[in-house]
Amino acid sequence: MQMVTSHIESDGAETNMNLYEWEAKRIFADWGISVPQSIRITREEELSKVNFDFPLTIKCQVLSGGRGKAGGIQFAKDLKEAQSLVGKLMAMTIGGSKTESLLIEPKVAIKHEMYLSVTMDRARGCPVYIAAKEGGIEIESNKSIITEPIPYPFQPYVARNLAKKMGLSGALLNKVASIAERLYKLFDQLDLDLAEINPLVITQSDEVIALDGKIIVNDDALGRQKMFDGWQEKHMADLPERERKAKKQGLNLVELDGNIGIICNGAGLTMATMDMVKNFGGNPGNFLDAGGGSDQEKTLAAIELVNENPNVKVILLNILGGITACDEVAHALVEFMKKNPKRSMVVRLRGNNQDKAEKMLADSGLKLFPDLENAVKEAVSKSKVAV
Amino acid sequence: MIFVNKNTKVLVQGATGKMGAAHTKRMIAYGTQVVGGVTPGKGGTLVPDTKIKVYDTVKEAKDATGATCSVLFVPPYLALDAGVEAIEAGISLLVVITEGIPPQDTAKLVSYARLKGIRMIGPNCPGVITPGETLLGILPGMIFKPGPVGMVSRSGTLTYEIALALTDADQGQSTCVGIGGDPVKGMEYPEVLTAFNNDNDTEVIVLIGEIGGNAEEEAAQFVKQNVNKPVVAYIAGQTAPPGKRMGHAGAIISGGKGTAESKMQAMREAGIEVALTPSEVAEKVKKLRTQLVKK
Repeated sequence: MQMVTSHIESDGAETNMNLYEWEAKRIFADWGISVPQSIRITREEELSKVNFDFPLTIKCQVLSGGRGKAGGIQFAKDLKEAQSLVGKLMAMTIGGSKTESLLIEPKVAIKHEMYLSVTMDRARGCPVYIAAKEGGIEIESNKSIITEPIPYPFQPYVARNLAKKMGLSGALLNKVASIAERLYKLFDQLDLDLAEINPLVITQSDEVIALDGKIIVNDDALGRQKMFDGWQEKHMADLPERERKAKKQGLNLVELDGNIGIICNGAGLTMATMDMVKNFGGNPGNFLDAGGGSDQEKTLAAIELVNENPNVKVILLNILGGITACDEVAHALVEFMKKNPKRSMVVRLRGNNQDKAEKMLADSGLKLFPDLENAVKEAVSKSKVAV
Repeated sequence: MIFVNKNTKVLVQGATGKMGAAHTKRMIAYGTQVVGGVTPGKGGTLVPDTKIKVYDTVKEAKDATGATCSVLFVPPYLALDAGVEAIEAGISLLVVITEGIPPQDTAKLVSYARLKGIRMIGPNCPGVITPGETLLGILPGMIFKPGPVGMVSRSGTLTYEIALALTDADQGQSTCVGIGGDPVKGMEYPEVLTAFNNDNDTEVIVLIGEIGGNAEEEAAQFVKQNVNKPVVAYIAGQTAPPGKRMGHAGAIISGGKGTAESKMQAMREAGIEVALTPSEVAEKVKKLRTQLVKK
């Protein structure tokens, strides 16, 4: 089966914009998918706003997975019990994600739990429904998973085929098909990577509602999805500081636990450089892809970002100039070395305007390595010299 | 050589933008037959610093020039529109260089291209080069040289690094296809592998992959069953941590799947030579070619 996607597993570390449950549910409701009544609070006093019956479900709003297991979902039979839970739950951090607020809902009388999501199937190159008649938390290990590719242009029969495959019939088939249709439409219109309802429940009164929801918005679409304007900052709260800073500057940084700071142009080359560092006995301190066409300003920002990491002993800069001109990079380097003359640095530059770059750098005392392997070996040996 | 040669007539959509204009000039300098540019509203002008005419629509450009290929440098949110326009105008090969196209748009364009039987390379790719003949995209022509090695890759600069190692070791290339780093793309490994397998100019195939997804595992399976030329593979991201996206949208190890290890294992099981560094790719290619000569 080719249904494996990058997001359905709860790594809790996706880099595209992950929404809180309350935000996902608000979007579901806007698109006509039923969700429980709710209020969202951050303080105990706000419990007075509860205008539905006890018992209550109180859920921590976090961006990570594994919330149920970590105790982030509690039930309260009366106001007193609810009051005793608010402070405790608000203080929780789950999987590195701080509780942003609490979502309070009436405890739903569940007859049956199912699973439903829409995501992009990279192997098939089209969106796909993933569903299970028997839902639950551990969808990855669920054996009754059904997938249904969604051809373009979309027609609602695809959603009905899915409901049929799930083994549903009668009114229930139509209800679930209608939810699946709405879920695809919002997935498409809002440029999502994932729209997930887990669980999708049938209540004792035979309503079908989304009891929990997860939405991941594709970063590349944020420029045209006006409803998410200004959301990104808030949803990056759980990223380490330097990675957040990098993201704002259009650089791709992932920090690691070694002491060799790595900066390259292009993702594949950056990974390959990391791998070589490891193969030659060193330890990469980060992955930093400065992008294919980085100019002087961006290169300088990249070097400074890696320089800020206290664990980094030596910086290995590997630029293969295709689009990137070597003299632009050399300008950035000269500027950086003026401010940080003691920084241990190994530079590999090759490509457009390499001669110019070599001349410029000779004066700043930096030696250029045209060969990648030699540069990596030099960086590894410098990383092992005691300070 | 596959897909493109010196007779291929090429349009550039988005040729008057900063990146489009710069690379149109580079392509012309390499010898590519760029026959026209397309920018709506700029019809009748010339691509800056060239003698290449700009047209308002792809239809008009194709009718006037007989172009069969189009290279897209248009902004990400206009790429779906531009791609469908090219397909409808009768273009048979689309090379989408644009980075940052929302996956929903890419999926729609890919599905349209498949429906119409059109070859689409990319998006977010460096393009395709047949050294000494033609270059479509942003690959740096000077590091390639003509020869019998077919290259296919999900990466950009890493491809250049390996091409450089091959060229330095006197192992020239028949054609190099950069299929792009996005999770959803027009052309996958098997289409390129099939073309190389049937190509008389290609003796050895170099496959460059990276972490994320299972395209490399599937390619390994495909090689085992359908390819009778020797293949050397290199997989980037052996040291990448799980759950983190490494630059490319598609490069993420997720739920323990898509690791370099699993890909390298699949490659070895399919009889593919796996190299651990770019220079080792060149060494292995050289060795394989010597063995071929002996046979």
